[in-house]
Amino acid sequence: MEKNNSGINRRRFLESTALAGIGLLGASAIISGCKNEKDAKALGLPPILKGAPKGKKLRAGLVGAGNRGAGAAMNFISSGPDLHIVALADVFQDRIDECRDRFAKLKRDIPVENCFTGFDAYKKLMALPDVDVVILATPPQFRPEHFKEAVMKNKHVFMEKPVAVDPVGIRSIIASSKKAAAIGLNVVTGTQRRHQEDYIETYKQVANGAIGKPVSARAFWNQNHVWFRNREEGWDDMTYMVRNWNNFCWLCGDHILDTHVHNIDIINWFIGRQPESAIGYGGRARRLTGDQYDFFSIDFDYGNGVFSHSMCRQIDNCANGTGEFIMGTEGYTNCVNTIWNMDGSIKWKFEYPKDENGNETSMPKISPYIQEHMHLVHAIRTGEYVNYGEITANSTLTAIMARTAAYTGRKVTWEEIFKSDMDLGPKEIAFGPVDMQFEVPIPGTAHKA
Amino acid sequence: MKIPIRSLFTGKRAFIWVIIAGLIVGIAFMFAGNKAVKYTSTDEYCISCHVHPVADQSWKLSSHHDNKAGIIVHCAECHLPPAGHGMLFAKAKHGIIDIYGFYFKDSAQYNWPAKRKLELAKNFVYVESCVKCHQNLFPKTLTTEGENAHLNFMTSKAEVSCLNCHLDVGHYDPKNKHEHNLNFGATVAPNTQVYTEPTPVTTFANFTEKIPGTSASFDMIAIPGGEFRMGSPKNEPLRKRDEGPLHPVKVSRFFMAKIEVSWDEYLEFFKATSSQGRKEAEENENVDAISGPTPPWGAPDQGWGKGTRPAITMSWKAANVYCQWLSKVTGKKYRLPTEAEWEYAARGGTRTPYFFEGNPKKFTSEGFFRKIIGPDTATIQSNVVYKVNSLMQTKEPAAVKENPFGLKNMLGNVYEFCSDYYSPKAYSQFKKLVVDPRGPKRGQEHVIRGGSFKSDAKDVRCAARDFTKTKAWLVTDPQMPKSVWWYSDCSDIGFRVVCEVDENIK
Repeated sequence: MEKNNSGINRRRFLESTALAGIGLLGASAIISGCKNEKDAKALGLPPILKGAPKGKKLRAGLVGAGNRGAGAAMNFISSGPDLHIVALADVFQDRIDECRDRFAKLKRDIPVENCFTGFDAYKKLMALPDVDVVILATPPQFRPEHFKEAVMKNKHVFMEKPVAVDPVGIRSIIASSKKAAAIGLNVVTGTQRRHQEDYIETYKQVANGAIGKPVSARAFWNQNHVWFRNREEGWDDMTYMVRNWNNFCWLCGDHILDTHVHNIDIINWFIGRQPESAIGYGGRARRLTGDQYDFFSIDFDYGNGVFSHSMCRQIDNCANGTGEFIMGTEGYTNCVNTIWNMDGSIKWKFEYPKDENGNETSMPKISPYIQEHMHLVHAIRTGEYVNYGEITANSTLTAIMARTAAYTGRKVTWEEIFKSDMDLGPKEIAFGPVDMQFEVPIPGTAHKA
Repeated sequence: MKIPIRSLFTGKRAFIWVIIAGLIVGIAFMFAGNKAVKYTSTDEYCISCHVHPVADQSWKLSSHHDNKAGIIVHCAECHLPPAGHGMLFAKAKHGIIDIYGFYFKDSAQYNWPAKRKLELAKNFVYVESCVKCHQNLFPKTLTTEGENAHLNFMTSKAEVSCLNCHLDVGHYDPKNKHEHNLNFGATVAPNTQVYTEPTPVTTFANFTEKIPGTSASFDMIAIPGGEFRMGSPKNEPLRKRDEGPLHPVKVSRFFMAKIEVSWDEYLEFFKATSSQGRKEAEENENVDAISGPTPPWGAPDQGWGKGTRPAITMSWKAANVYCQWLSKVTGKKYRLPTEAEWEYAARGGTRTPYFFEGNPKKFTSEGFFRKIIGPDTATIQSNVVYKVNSLMQTKEPAAVKENPFGLKNMLGNVYEFCSDYYSPKAYSQFKKLVVDPRGPKRGQEHVIRGGSFKSDAKDVRCAARDFTKTKAWLVTDPQMPKSVWWYSDCSDIGFRVVCEVDENIK
């Protein structure tokens, strides 16, 4: 190949900026009294913004106009100036209509000609040249295909978690993330705890040694049952399943992906790696529709003697609660706002903003659901690149590894699940009858009589 | 004041001159050296010695010369690492080898096709050079298969080279495409006679099996039962420890194929049972419908041809399923030989290292003296296809003599699967005479026997043992998970069938 001048220039540029960076670091170390603390940037933390910066107009298309989709679209436009939703795609017309109405009430009309329905609606939306950003909020089964198309069409992406339901989808997400990175498309995912100021400040403490080295962890998401829909007259198999997607594994990935992935993502983040294997169990006691479990209990092995116990449940009137916990050699933390010493005394606490009566509130000033969109817009407008695609794919795969361990009763390793050809979707996705079995998984083999 | 000229060269000043002269020589040397490095890295310079026309022509036809972008990638850009990655060292190393070859060897005698295979090509193509230009492993145009392969490249613990998949990109080779070979086996010429019935066997004698529904047949040799000493004695030259202790074994009579399963035979199985997808293959695991191999990647025959050459690169599982299929279509009991049956058959009644006369020490090409004097290979050459006479590929059975039982290629040509699991201590459990041993109950890898066309003479002894290496043999396979039917990285494995003798036969 002929000499690649831009490559050399780029390298020189990197070298010089690296040198300048070292110089700056040195200077700041002296100014800050030689404290060896890593700052937000060195830790790869997102900026905490009061709002997205001004800049060129950004037009977003929403793919998946249900509750979370419409919510994410609202979060997007409220994250900064000159942000617009200009197109919608959904498999169902009624979802489109509801979403358009919500925006119309805010005097934010979405042109009818930019609203598409059907399983290929996303393609039509992404073919619009004026769309700069896409928000992907369909059931996770469809995410890999949508993300792939978005990257092909040069769109910046906000996508909801989980990012896939099976390893085939996960590998597609990782590859598309790398393709996006290669051409400078920003990617932010809906693991909003990573954009929540209290989590971020707690992470800084932990990363700078506040609890010593992590030795064990637990994560839990126990709640009442989530919505389900009964089949209505006139619905074919596909219509019914997509309407009731939260209860079918091939569409949802089971609730260990759908919700518990948030907690799993936090443990991966704080420990700094994904687990090497998982053993666990679960079952179905109260669910009425679909083929999923309603409780899981998983033991993740992170290697070097570090384990994390994960549990999630969707059953009414049980001991509920969600959160995380990490035990370290010198203290422990709930990951969100407090660090304790070994004797139980509080070492550090996040200071929440106060309300008008001077009482401390329980949430950061800016909702993490909006903060994550601010980060995306900030990245697009300032050029400070962001890409959470692979991180969230790894956390989703961690949950898939756990789900597989529970469904089969076997120990499942990371290497095995990363290379698995598990592909849960039907061969063809179209309305009409679907030829699939929906047996609830049972681990192990039958007892012999 | 006048300074005498002579004084310029004496005393302290002389010292300065020495330094200046040294500087000049040094600078000249540096420029010349730099120039020399550049000059000796031009295409013209390379091609001036690398006279094999294939290299020049195939390079020009390859995607590194003939491409839309109009970019030409020159010899040294792939065949040397980039500066900062040991470029000068590599250049010196290759230079010395090239100069030696130019003056002392005949380039027409080189086995160029073998040099283009992955194993040897890795020695003179540098991954650092590939990724120096190909900085983005995830371009938008990358296919799903490519994504999986590049993810594997980035995460695999085994060493994966770019060449594993992209072997033909620098020198065009239509036979060496890295892709799913969906047409594999489809172009076999239809023969005239199609057998309708298998050969009936009523006596314990050699017979020719006919595979019903095909035009393939093969010879089966009746191997009489008997006792033999399995393994090698401690004083056998160049033996390995896993061949001992030497122990007596009794083997019941059986039939064994005269030659290794040929492509002609194996392709009939492939055509009859191959499945398009892995899923179907796994779901149909009942006896009535035997599911066979998925289409392979690239060319399993390595471009050497099929016919009576041994079928190669199939997995142990595939070989085993072949036996099930063959049993079903012929109504007999075909299977892989046990390790004891294999060695008994290979020895053909002999107790020596080979079934013919000879000393492994004289045949081997390894060791200091052999490199100087050269091995004495008269008898072995006509009996065994191995490193010295194979040109690094399989040969047809006609190339060698039979052993005392009438079997061909028991030693050499390709390694042969046995049904036993491998254990280095497999023999140590036997104190007394053992009848029809079947190897360890559990294990990871299976026994392979006989050595291959790649083996040294010491590894084609009757007692020499080896085993499958599943992980290493699948490094190149880009599928996730990898094929259970084909090894992507082992070209010298095949197998031979045995047939159990019906009790009613006398």
